[in-house]
Amino acid sequence: MSDVVLEFRDVLKRFGGTTIVDRVSFTVNRGEFFTLLGPSGCGKTTTLRLIAGLEVPDGGEIVLDGQTLAAPAAGICLPPDKRNLGMMFQSYAIWPHLSVFENVAFPLRVRRVPEPDIARKVTEALELVGLAGMEGRGATQLSGGQQQRVALARAVVYTPSLLLLDEPLSNLDVKLREQMRMELRALQRRLDLTVIYVTHDQSEAMSLSDRVAVVNKGRFEQVGTPQEIYERPRKRFVGDFLGRTIIVRGIVRGTASERWVELPGAERIAVPPETDAGVTEGTRVRVLCRPEEVTLLPGGESAPNQVTGRIETVTYMGDHLEYTIRAAELELLMTASKKTPQPVGAEVRLQFDPQAVTILP
Amino acid sequence: MSDAPIFRPGFRLLGFSAVEIVVLALFAFLMVLPVVSLFVGSFNIASPTQPAAYGFRNWITAFSDPKTLDALGLSFLFSIVRLGPSLLLGVLVAWLIARTDMPGGHVVEVACWFAFFVPDFPLTLAWILLLDPNYGFLNTALMSLPFIEEAPFDPYTFWGIVWVHMGTGGIWFKVMLLTPLFRRMGATLEEAARVAGANTFTTLRRVTIPVLSPMIFAVGVLGFIRGLESFNTELLLGLPAGIYIYGTRIYDYLQEEPAQYGAATALGSVFLVVLAVLAFLYRRYFQADRKFAVVTGQGYSTMRVRLGRWRYVALSGVILYFAVMMVLPLVFLVIGSFMRRYGFFNLDDPFTFSHWQNLFRDPVFLGSLTNSLMIAGMTAVMGVIAYSSVGYMLASPHPVRSRGILEFLCWLPWVIPGILLGLGLLWIFLATPLSVFLYGTIFGIALALTIQDSPVSTQAFKSGFLQLGRDLEEAARVSGASWRYTYFRILLPLVAPVALTIGMLNFGSAMTTISIPVLLYSAQSRPLSILLLEYSFSGELERGAALGLLITVIICAMIVVGRRFGLLDLSQSGGGRDKTRGDAG
Repeated sequence: MSDVVLEFRDVLKRFGGTTIVDRVSFTVNRGEFFTLLGPSGCGKTTTLRLIAGLEVPDGGEIVLDGQTLAAPAAGICLPPDKRNLGMMFQSYAIWPHLSVFENVAFPLRVRRVPEPDIARKVTEALELVGLAGMEGRGATQLSGGQQQRVALARAVVYTPSLLLLDEPLSNLDVKLREQMRMELRALQRRLDLTVIYVTHDQSEAMSLSDRVAVVNKGRFEQVGTPQEIYERPRKRFVGDFLGRTIIVRGIVRGTASERWVELPGAERIAVPPETDAGVTEGTRVRVLCRPEEVTLLPGGESAPNQVTGRIETVTYMGDHLEYTIRAAELELLMTASKKTPQPVGAEVRLQFDPQAVTILP
Repeated sequence: MSDAPIFRPGFRLLGFSAVEIVVLALFAFLMVLPVVSLFVGSFNIASPTQPAAYGFRNWITAFSDPKTLDALGLSFLFSIVRLGPSLLLGVLVAWLIARTDMPGGHVVEVACWFAFFVPDFPLTLAWILLLDPNYGFLNTALMSLPFIEEAPFDPYTFWGIVWVHMGTGGIWFKVMLLTPLFRRMGATLEEAARVAGANTFTTLRRVTIPVLSPMIFAVGVLGFIRGLESFNTELLLGLPAGIYIYGTRIYDYLQEEPAQYGAATALGSVFLVVLAVLAFLYRRYFQADRKFAVVTGQGYSTMRVRLGRWRYVALSGVILYFAVMMVLPLVFLVIGSFMRRYGFFNLDDPFTFSHWQNLFRDPVFLGSLTNSLMIAGMTAVMGVIAYSSVGYMLASPHPVRSRGILEFLCWLPWVIPGILLGLGLLWIFLATPLSVFLYGTIFGIALALTIQDSPVSTQAFKSGFLQLGRDLEEAARVSGASWRYTYFRILLPLVAPVALTIGMLNFGSAMTTISIPVLLYSAQSRPLSILLLEYSFSGELERGAALGLLITVIICAMIVVGRRFGLLDLSQSGGGRDKTRGDAG
């Protein structure tokens, strides 16, 4: 698993005066499902297009399987057709003047694969994506989901060294999207493909990926397994982008062996042991926690790792309730079960789990 | 990597790559040189074949001659006088088609589209057959009535020329431009006004007209500039009566013995400056691409003005106008081509096939037909190859500095009337060592026509490629196809509707244009349009009618075939968008 397929070294891309990809370095291992996650305009699609050779980098080096794809300093930029990649476009880019068969056969034809092999491989690829028997259809007679499958078959038909997927599920309706998500993951495992996947949807990133890179303003904010980046966000942006976060501010107190964060209301939250050593006594810090890791308790005597507050609004959300709570001079947005509803104005306690909080300076 | 849109950073000069430099140089040569040679030529007081000598004599000669100033003044007068009624009619008919419950609106629209393609030169000839003071049918018919002693009509006058123009290209084109505008123009905008309490008339006055007036104004300015470039009708009707516009004056200067190249180029230069200023203001004010953005319409308005009984009156009016301006002259063109002696209906045996037989036996005709077909074919092919490449480059998403320059170069012929382009090229053709290949040859004429086609062709291909989207091409590249393979397997088949439309349009205009070949042809390369000109000047009206009809039939056959295959729809300059776009998702 550890042998490197793709490597980015300080890759830089500018459009006019704007830096889109800002000296990014990362590696992708063989058989890995690697996701670039970020808001629109963050540079994730440009990163993918740099790999494909559809954009020429302004600096750095891109290496695939030991071969340099692009290195502007050395005057190297391999054109896309020499890179042996598979790519699925957000719009699917199914050629409307070719049949399903010819669309899928295209990469084989340009590689001058013998005719009988083409027929066999195209049939296999179409079976793989569940479109067996649709060979003769015109590309424009297909539904969105079918077009998407044709695009996938075309991208994998010649076993590329790397499969690039640019928001492939974003044009599908919710149900189909979930189904395709599972099929895509199964297909990747079966063919042992190395996949680079671009999305702005955090749940797609979480459910599909081996590793996720959270991209913001052309930089990789954090790279890690879905669990790492969700539970241990190293930056505020990462925490916010991957769902709701509760943030309270305080000052670190205590000794090296036992530290806690003192909140404005003199309440305390214990500092988890693995927190950065840089967080020492007297530092102003933020405590980040997922709402689901916080338990809402009725008002009463405050204990350690608890913050008291008052319910300001309650919103009925169907399967749960949403509260805004004023606590420690902050307004917090909390979700909680419908089982023990709290009225507006009620005093409550928020129970933090010290194992689930992240302390950031 | 010169063939790849994605290239290694290689040789560069002033920030341009080698490919860009070659492309820019080629188009600068084609588009700018005729203009430059026109200006330089106007200061050259020697004849084109003599060593050059420079001075102001041409300008002094041209502008000390009152005829020159008269011609300039008359050019503007014609264009302004024509503009009022044709714009009014265009707006009225477009409004009737798109915004009222007038029956048969779609048929009227198709009829206008068809009429747009009917060449103007045979129509002018037909009006001569109808209105000539000596033998014109309408005149002789009216004079046979009591109390009418003199011929009431005369086409060889200012108003005669204006009248004939009311039935040729311009007005139908205005309807074609304005109808989709009226149709698209926000159903919601009007509906909002209605819901807010405005009645039909108030909505029209306070919303519809104010919203559309900038675009109507744009179409008007466009019509004015195009009107200044008009040539055929003025040549055929103006020359016998001594009515000259600048274009026919230039033609006249070159017909003199010896040809007055100097005065012609001086007059041409002045007019080019005037046109360039107008075109610059037009472009500045309405922006280059708005003209096309305006043309592509989407969404239909459901709300239509109820005309009540008046809708039949409106329809009758439109039918009458079409019958008088289009059907009547075409019928007389047919009659004229079959009459033994045109206008003499009381002969024993007035009708004959002899003119048609003579036409097809005439070796000059057969030679001209061959020339015309070859010129038009070459023009169509060269235009599609050159401007599809330019359109592709202009549609590139990569911000390339050369793009602005290239776009400007290919737009430049928009300002240059055919007669001036012919004049500029004539000067070059005579002066270069390549004159054997260019001067008086069908290739020289085809080259000039191709240059003239640049603006519309370039824009059509550009929007065609833009509508295709880049993904289809990039998907092919990533799949392993070289740029060349991608171009032939993916891009070309997908822009085929645009290419065929542009090819047919350019073929058609090459068959019917007079202003460009009139200065560039020789006895060996004479096309049909020039032969028609010669027939009408030498008074062979019956044979001219036959030839004019033949040209009209060729064009009509072409557009019927084009229409059959869903091409030539000018309201979507991208061509067949729905068929070439695959994003059903």
